[in-house]
Amino acid sequence: MPKGREIIQGAISEGRKVLLEPEAKALIADYGIPVTRVKVAKTEEEAVQFAREIGLPVVLKIVSPDVLHKSDVGGVKVNLKTEEEVRRAYREIIESVKSKVPNARIVGVLIQEFAPAGVEVIIGLIKDPQFGPTVMFGLGGVFVEVFRDVSFRVAPLTERDAEEMISEIKGRKLLEGYRGMEPVDKKALVDALVKVGQIGVENPEIKEMDLNPVMAYPSGLKVVDARVILG
Amino acid sequence: MESVRALDALFRPSSIAVIGASRTPGKIGHEILKNLVEYGYRGRIYPVNPKADEILGLRCYHSVSEIPGTVDLGVVSIPARYVLDAIDDLGEKGARAVAVISSGFSEVGERELEEELVRRAHERGMRVLGPNIFGVVYTPARMNATFGPTKVLPGSIAFVTQSGALGIALMGWTITERIGLSAVVSVGNKSDIEDSDLLLWLSEDEDTDVILVYMEGVKEGRRFMEVARRVTPRKPVIVLKAGRSARGSMAASSHTGSLAGMDAVYESVFRQTGILRAYSVEQAFDWARAFASRRVPRGTRTVIVTNGGGAGVLATDAAELSGLDLLDPPEDLKETFRSYMPPFGSPKNPVDLTGQAAEPEFEGAVRAALEHESVDNVIVLYCETAVTDPEGIARAVLRAAEGTDKPIAVMLMGGERSERAADLLNSRGIPAFPTPERAVGAVAAMVEWWKRTKNL
Repeated sequence: MPKGREIIQGAISEGRKVLLEPEAKALIADYGIPVTRVKVAKTEEEAVQFAREIGLPVVLKIVSPDVLHKSDVGGVKVNLKTEEEVRRAYREIIESVKSKVPNARIVGVLIQEFAPAGVEVIIGLIKDPQFGPTVMFGLGGVFVEVFRDVSFRVAPLTERDAEEMISEIKGRKLLEGYRGMEPVDKKALVDALVKVGQIGVENPEIKEMDLNPVMAYPSGLKVVDARVILG
Repeated sequence: MESVRALDALFRPSSIAVIGASRTPGKIGHEILKNLVEYGYRGRIYPVNPKADEILGLRCYHSVSEIPGTVDLGVVSIPARYVLDAIDDLGEKGARAVAVISSGFSEVGERELEEELVRRAHERGMRVLGPNIFGVVYTPARMNATFGPTKVLPGSIAFVTQSGALGIALMGWTITERIGLSAVVSVGNKSDIEDSDLLLWLSEDEDTDVILVYMEGVKEGRRFMEVARRVTPRKPVIVLKAGRSARGSMAASSHTGSLAGMDAVYESVFRQTGILRAYSVEQAFDWARAFASRRVPRGTRTVIVTNGGGAGVLATDAAELSGLDLLDPPEDLKETFRSYMPPFGSPKNPVDLTGQAAEPEFEGAVRAALEHESVDNVIVLYCETAVTDPEGIARAVLRAAEGTDKPIAVMLMGGERSERAADLLNSRGIPAFPTPERAVGAVAAMVEWWKRTKNL
């Protein structure tokens, strides 16, 4: 059985509706979409060791089935440049989550490669009640939240579908190189969109999925955060 | 494929039983029978009413079983609780399709009754249209089995509607607008026959050039997509989609979920399957008329020929917004255009023949544009002047358009004479409109269809 199926069935058997971030990333990586490297530390010592392995700077995030919005409970620390900062961040995250969500089950703390800034985009998946798995694309942040500048295609997607989705976005100029910036790797985006469609078709248990943000670079891209909701 | 051919009985039945036929004018069961008779249906018509012996000069049968021989199509307009018995009786008579006019099914929560209706019909080899419909028209068979307007104009636009009241109103509107139809199908609750089935049948119907669907929602989304993808490259499908997705109210726990609440998913379905989405009734029928002209779009390069600068600029704006490319005419074509205009005219696009342009100028310039290999589409704009006769201009355009199948649309703007000239063009298969935007929209729709379907 492919790794992605195992992860989803594992969560279902535990009665969970939301995949943990490392699970979501493993599922996505299983389909060949680049994700930031992650490891889950259970102790402060492990946190330091994993940070060394992955390479500084790193990002730390709480891993708990009871925490959906990680930054709201002090569960995220970014741009940690030294081992000392990693240690302190580990302790602060555990303390903060314990005090804000007293009964939260804490699986550990995610140590994540720090992804350099690129053009932030969002790639999503929903299960439409009529048409089934449907892929969404948009620019991240204010573009998706305020302007709702997004496009959709019902999966499975052809490469042409994916190309059209990208060109339908009003803010597409930001992807084509803007104010001296290099254009982003459109082929990598097309590839990721097609693969997200494939994830939807092959995993009907997925109700909603957000890859947000995804950093798009002049060469390649990287999924920085991922949320997968089952049902 | 068998199930598609079963719709033959719906559109081309050899005999029709009207169950619930009434002697009382104004009653649905009376109006349907009257429309069948008056519109000139040539097959056998069997009114069924237990209390009548004769209606509208036809012998009336007290029950379906009394009918001699077989029945092809049943049109049922009796209270919901009696419909199941009617289905059984029609089955005995070998009917292959039944149009259930009656309401009182899933639209009022009687889901089980509706399911039982379909189950029984299928058991007896029948397909079900409806329930909760105003009927079906198929003009090639001179069949008007509706309680809507009688004198539907024959043509090649098939109109499928999920709304009853709107559908009947639009039937009447097509008559006053002189829009010809091949079929009108009221689908109501779509208990059995739905959009996909109709698209399949109509796509193979030689009397239908274009399919126009008023839709609130589809039933089996994936099947609809699969069918639409097969149909649209052969026959254009225009959808007028109303109603926002119910998903908007659904709790969503992701960005994607909350954004999909718009009917953006339908929009993408239409793009992916080559369907054209219209945003108003007028637009939908404008486009349908353009496709009914049987002209073939092959590209985006468009020339506008006008006798007035203002209309030319409005049309240019509309063209650029709708994905048409205004071609810069090659030198030889410009030279030809110059020969049809005074020195102060403009051979560039829009080609301004000036207010002096009469029939020979319009005919020459339009023909030159249509015949040139660098031109895919032509839009003709005529603002009525005192020195020209709109009908004469219309005839000039007709002559120019002969011998080519490139898309062309005409605007005639002015008074009653222009309106009559537009009617003349429309009746001869050249789409004509009273405003530049609508003429541009008609050509743009044809080009958009070409773009969307060429790679399907």
